[in-house]
Amino acid sequence: MRDEHFLFSGSYVPLNHGSYGAFPAAVRTYQRSLQDQTESRSDAFIRFKAPSLLLESRTAIAGLLQVPRQTVVFVPNATTGVNTVLRNLSWADGDVIVYLSTAYGACEKTILHICETTPATSVRIDVSFPIEDDDLVDLFRLRAQGIAAQQGKRVKVAMFDTVCTFPGVRLPWEALVEACKAEGVLSLIDGAHGIGHIDLFDLGQVDPDFFTSNCYKWLFTPRPCAIFYVPTRHHHLIRTTYPTSHGFKPSQERQIPTAASSDSDYLGELFKWAATVDMSPYLSTLEALRFRSNVCGGEAAIENYCFDLAQQGGKRMAQLLETEVMDNRNAKLSQCCFAMVRLPLRFASDTVSTTDRVMDRRSEATRGGIEYNQQLLPPERGPEFVKTIMDKLRDEHDTWIPMKFYSGAIWFRISAQVYLEMADLEWAAGVLSKLCKELPGSASGS
Amino acid sequence: MVTPAFGRQMRDEHFLFAKSYVPLNHGSYGAFPAAVRTYQRSLQDQTEARSDAFIRFKAPSLLLESRTAIAGLLQVPRQTVVFVPNATTGVNTVLRNLTWNEGDVIVYLSTAYGACEKTIVHVCEITPATSVRIDALFPIEDDELVDTFRLTVQNIAAQQGKHVKIAMFDTVCTFPGVRLPWEALVKACKAEDGAHGIGHIDLSDLGQIDPDFFTSNCYKWLFTPRPCAIFYVPTRHHHLIRTTYPTSHGFRPLQEQQAATSASSDNDYLGELFKWAATVDMSPYLCTLEALKFRSNVCGGEAAIRNYCFDFAQQGGKRMAQLLETEVMDNKNATLSQCCFAVVRLPLRFASDTVSTTYGFTDRRSEATRGGVEYNQQLLPPERGPEFVKTIMDKLRDEYDTWIPMKFYSGAIWFRISAQVYLDMADLEWAAGVLSKLCKELPGSASGS
Repeated sequence: MRDEHFLFSGSYVPLNHGSYGAFPAAVRTYQRSLQDQTESRSDAFIRFKAPSLLLESRTAIAGLLQVPRQTVVFVPNATTGVNTVLRNLSWADGDVIVYLSTAYGACEKTILHICETTPATSVRIDVSFPIEDDDLVDLFRLRAQGIAAQQGKRVKVAMFDTVCTFPGVRLPWEALVEACKAEGVLSLIDGAHGIGHIDLFDLGQVDPDFFTSNCYKWLFTPRPCAIFYVPTRHHHLIRTTYPTSHGFKPSQERQIPTAASSDSDYLGELFKWAATVDMSPYLSTLEALRFRSNVCGGEAAIENYCFDLAQQGGKRMAQLLETEVMDNRNAKLSQCCFAMVRLPLRFASDTVSTTDRVMDRRSEATRGGIEYNQQLLPPERGPEFVKTIMDKLRDEHDTWIPMKFYSGAIWFRISAQVYLEMADLEWAAGVLSKLCKELPGSASGS
Repeated sequence: MVTPAFGRQMRDEHFLFAKSYVPLNHGSYGAFPAAVRTYQRSLQDQTEARSDAFIRFKAPSLLLESRTAIAGLLQVPRQTVVFVPNATTGVNTVLRNLTWNEGDVIVYLSTAYGACEKTIVHVCEITPATSVRIDALFPIEDDELVDTFRLTVQNIAAQQGKHVKIAMFDTVCTFPGVRLPWEALVKACKAEDGAHGIGHIDLSDLGQIDPDFFTSNCYKWLFTPRPCAIFYVPTRHHHLIRTTYPTSHGFRPLQEQQAATSASSDNDYLGELFKWAATVDMSPYLCTLEALKFRSNVCGGEAAIRNYCFDFAQQGGKRMAQLLETEVMDNKNATLSQCCFAVVRLPLRFASDTVSTTYGFTDRRSEATRGGVEYNQQLLPPERGPEFVKTIMDKLRDEYDTWIPMKFYSGAIWFRISAQVYLDMADLEWAAGVLSKLCKELPGSASGS
């Protein structure tokens, strides 16, 4: 699959689909033909052909998500989706934005900026993984209720991921949306790792208040391309694109779009042009879906393969490294295309860390191995070791694996994909093992 | 130095248009040569070959190179210029970063680009700011425009509790496609929307003219792919620009932010803020250097391009006006036409009770050119103006494989031609012939129904 259909360098092992995504040659060919048509006659294409292609791609996405087309539009990326929601809402004294510590950096910064420039304040819920789904939902409810109990405060919006960036784990986002409804809080789902990654057929039923997801990450479209979903009941809240462009209707002019009449496409009209960009990634969506269907066998087939590879592959790597996969007891965190595995490096620590809790759960049979031969490493060198290993992966092994010093250990994230197989992960485990041994402070290092 | 072969030959050898297409509307979406496309695609191929390696480790230095090249063109320090997708984003970035208080007024001209006007309208809906739109009717003399602006500002300042916080102008307007005395307007009050700026007019004095904010599309006149624009902020205002839109990794919360007021050479506050504004395809930004190389090596440099295009717009506009027996839109001092656009009137007379621009022009034409096509026609009803515009533009697209923007403006239909290095006089003469024919075919004209 990798050799026949994708665009990676022949020697490169692409283990990090999660950062920038990837798309097959078929989609690139299609995208370039759209761009060629654009340069051939730019006015004719942009003004008269692109709009209908855009509608087709919106229709295709709406079909995938099983939501009405009028509720879904394209934006460049999930960060723009998040900014669009947070900056369109009106913020009054007492309004609180709640989010998790796993929020993507740029989204947290958006919240911080909003709180600097409006009366809104924010509350960040620190979450340490692994954590059980129920515990996370309870934690959120408790914090939300705690805020609501304070004089003059109300939680206006809560923001969650579907699958976090780091650690790469699935959140119980559906249950969190339900909890938001129970607490009277608007739910903003940053599903950057959503469409094409986890099953979103129930999006309409789960019914978040706002949802955005990157197509360029897991749906095989070019960059930048994301979808922005707003159920009809909230359309009146979204007044402008960012940046504001031709679709904006001043408040005197516009009609309030409360009816879900089939010929009202308020969101579509607003978002069909948000300043001059290259729309070809949006217009390539249908082609990407065709590839996933015709060549890969469809969304379910892709999801099954990737989840399986992530879960089996994670376990296999943990076995080879003699460490563990990050997961909770109910094995929910790993219900995604990421595998989170620990590097065989023991760091000194006085506090009970994630590592210790995870390790306590390992069976006796798997104890021992590389790490017990090592000295305890100083935790303040964790980030430095991360950098050393990642640089060597890039420079000496022609791959890239994101990792972080998290909760007392180094955890790395593998992105399962249809262009990977177990041999790739086994190879990676071998490389990582070697690099760990080479580190200063490890058994064979200086 | 060999004079580059501008015109048809340039078009066939270097650009990407369909062979039968006559590209008379560079001003809307721009165009870029095959050399730049090849370079862009190689960047994209490198990205897909190893996305992390390219995006994290190679793109940043290429971005710096392109910023350096642009800074050289504008003769401003590199720290003052960054890339954004388009001028609309630049305008949004300024207006949404500023703090708006009761009494703050935004002043702008009626020629403001629609999306920019809508941004102002939205800002006024959600903040205490209000706006004043100066209706400018073209043609107008530079002095008159500057005076009108000054008067407006003074009148606002005279009102209790009001003051003009910011004024927004184009360098060259979208429609009509005329050059504004933006330098004089900056002197009068400082803020700028230069969507048709870079690569179109000479901006090497940008640093001296010293607007407070300036943004310009590179994809329009600088031969880069879409989307690509520059955003210029002199160092003294860096502290006002807190975030990109959308907010991304470069944002530093107030507690963290070091005072970004020092202009020390290793402080690149704006660069750090704008180097990543959410995941986009950066290849257009990274093509800037290549585009400049093409303009230098193949076209003979910025001055050569500008001279050709201005000359072509001016001579070509006159030639088309001659063939159509109408006029070019210009003011008495011929400053409006100091750009790459020619704005010419269609030979259609519309009924009007008021003295319109058209009649103003007619009076200035010499007796020798009176008569001709339009005097044979009945006076057309002005309410049908927009409909005629649509009819003609559709036919241009469907039957003549070209596209010319036009509008019913001030009692007549004016069209806008974008001069470029890939056009020559034969193209404009051909277009004049087509337009003449289409005017005659219109219902209500001499030969039409």
